[in-house]
Amino acid sequence: MQMLQLEVLTPSGLIYSGAAKSVTLPGEEGEFGILPEHVSLTTLLKAGVVDIQKENGKTESIVVNWGVVQINQNKVVVLVDGAVAIRGDNESDIAKALDEAKSLINSVADSNAMIASVSARIESAAHHLV
Amino acid sequence: MANLKEIQRQIKSVSNTQKTTRAMKLVSTAKLRRAEELAKRSRLFAQKTNQVIAEIAGRIKCNKVGGIENRCFIENDTPEMIDIIFVTADKGLCGGFNMQTIKAVKRLMTEYKNKKVKIRLRGIGKKGIEFFNYNEVEMLDEVKNLSSAPDMQRSSEFMMRSINDFKEGKIDAVYIVYNGYLNVITQQLHVNRVLPINVDDYNCEEIKNSVLELEAQDEEKMLDSLVTKYAEYNMYYALIDSVAAEHSARMQAMDAATNNAKEMVNSLKVKFNKARQEAITTELIEIISGVESMK
Repeated sequence: MQMLQLEVLTPSGLIYSGAAKSVTLPGEEGEFGILPEHVSLTTLLKAGVVDIQKENGKTESIVVNWGVVQINQNKVVVLVDGAVAIRGDNESDIAKALDEAKSLINSVADSNAMIASVSARIESAAHHLV
Repeated sequence: MANLKEIQRQIKSVSNTQKTTRAMKLVSTAKLRRAEELAKRSRLFAQKTNQVIAEIAGRIKCNKVGGIENRCFIENDTPEMIDIIFVTADKGLCGGFNMQTIKAVKRLMTEYKNKKVKIRLRGIGKKGIEFFNYNEVEMLDEVKNLSSAPDMQRSSEFMMRSINDFKEGKIDAVYIVYNGYLNVITQQLHVNRVLPINVDDYNCEEIKNSVLELEAQDEEKMLDSLVTKYAEYNMYYALIDSVAAEHSARMQAMDAATNNAKEMVNSLKVKFNKARQEAITTELIEIISGVESMK
């Protein structure tokens, strides 16, 4: 099965690099998903959650505040301003990541509805991890 | 005897200086490691951003997709006013690091003055600012304490002014001049034109084979915010790179100073020993000649 080559980059370093089955991105015009063999595309992202379905079937969520994505022949490059990955080895690590993600989204989002929806999504993502 | 004391005093003073320079070298080494790490992590992002923007710019240049007429992508052969942003260190004692940047700025300024282009100089870093103030060169902006501790927010705010002026058409080009980090012993001077985006070395043949689609509705908006981010990020990266280079330059300068001090102490010690020998010989001669005269 074909895979996407995904890279998530921030000014302070690489957040995610590796193969993925699919990626869901918070596009400027609305959320959209990418599967292998997607048409080449370059577009903007707004604040939200990037969901990555990994090779082993697990999902990982990354909260981003602004970005641009370039899709070119199964290579997906996501350039973002700030990002927090919801992951960790134990509960306290995950809780810390959650707090960071919430403060990141609070600093950019303009509506309460959006903050709430993002918070709900990352909390459920964190819940699956524990 | 007075001479002996004088030399001893000198030795002491030089070895004290040596201690200071050695300590400064160690501090710089530690700081360099951190700055280098930061620069390394950011480099990837910088490269990718530049790649994305270059691809878009290249396409616009080669086939004029969608008739985009964004100022940021169009070459301007007759600029009237340009911004020159320079980044120097806040502190000295780092060899020719600051001077190299200042010289490059001066070169750029004369080049454009000859073309009758007006220049707005915007400075980051105490040393460069002090230099241009002393030489009574007018500056639009002076930012201190940013180059020693790069901060994304402050650098973005600083850069926004140039970006906005560029978009409004007040200025026709933005240059960033800084001394970047190449490796521990070499720094590399960068004179980058950030806006308009450089598309000279873009090969049109290559793009024909690659496929790049822009989301149609938000083309203009996307280019706009992408260019803004690109310029902001370039500024930030210049700062990070400059810090790493500054520490490597200081490390080198302090290493050289420590070695020089060592050599100086050695030669002073030789001088001291000679003087001591001389004093002993004179004393001996005095005693002997005194004894001789008693006979």
